[in-house]
Amino acid sequence: MSADRLSVIRIRDLLMVTVPPDPDDVTISGLQQRVLAAMEQYEAKGVVLDISPVDTLDSFFARTLSETAQMVGLMGGRTIIAGMRPAVAVTAVQIGLTLRKIETALNVDRALDMVSSKPQLKKSL
Amino acid sequence: MSRPPEGEIPLETEGDIVVARRTVREIASQLGFGPTDVTRIVTAASELARNVFQYAGKGKMQWRNIESSGPSGLELRFLDQGPGIADVNLALQEGYSTGEGLGLGLPGAKRLMDEMEIQTTPGQGTKVTVKKWRKS
Repeated sequence: MSADRLSVIRIRDLLMVTVPPDPDDVTISGLQQRVLAAMEQYEAKGVVLDISPVDTLDSFFARTLSETAQMVGLMGGRTIIAGMRPAVAVTAVQIGLTLRKIETALNVDRALDMVSSKPQLKKSL
Repeated sequence: MSRPPEGEIPLETEGDIVVARRTVREIASQLGFGPTDVTRIVTAASELARNVFQYAGKGKMQWRNIESSGPSGLELRFLDQGPGIADVNLALQEGYSTGEGLGLGLPGAKRLMDEMEIQTTPGQGTKVTVKKWRKS
């Protein structure tokens, strides 16, 4: 139902995904499927996940984002998580969510800068 | 719309986790917690509500405004009649999970709140009580 509020659009060869503010678990799981399907459909080179509306990132949500990024990686794409709010960043560190190996950006603008200016750096663990 | 100083909501469907988050957000904001503390409390509530749903199938969340001699605060209780926790110390270890999670739920919630108390009887259920005090 609320999956409708998840928006996935293509901009050039990127997918822009805007996550709703307080998604239920079904919406979060649906995000993964929609992103992967859109990767294939649009032959996208990567995904920018805009989480700026999100004000609660719990471990389930974080795990799904992390897994989605890994899956996109297996499909040859790059994932950048953009727009994490300050309170969410504080909470994420405190709870032990590292989102390791995922690229992050201050906001969508910066994420697009990263994609257009730099080749992807292979991050080590 | 202001919330009464105490109350409870059922945790019986996945959607109730969202209701629990929204309820806690409203109450914590209303009690005057700052935005970062509100996020901490809501995130802890989300972890604990999901534990109830995931491990016990159903249960409830209760909230209560609390006051000591000094600061005021918020108490949340998560109750279920599920399988209980066999080894609480193990469950509080980061990375330990009998489910499919990251094992961050219980230890994460503990770090986000000021106090946590777990009462559990295997086969009978679990009661997790957490408190956050308002920094004045």
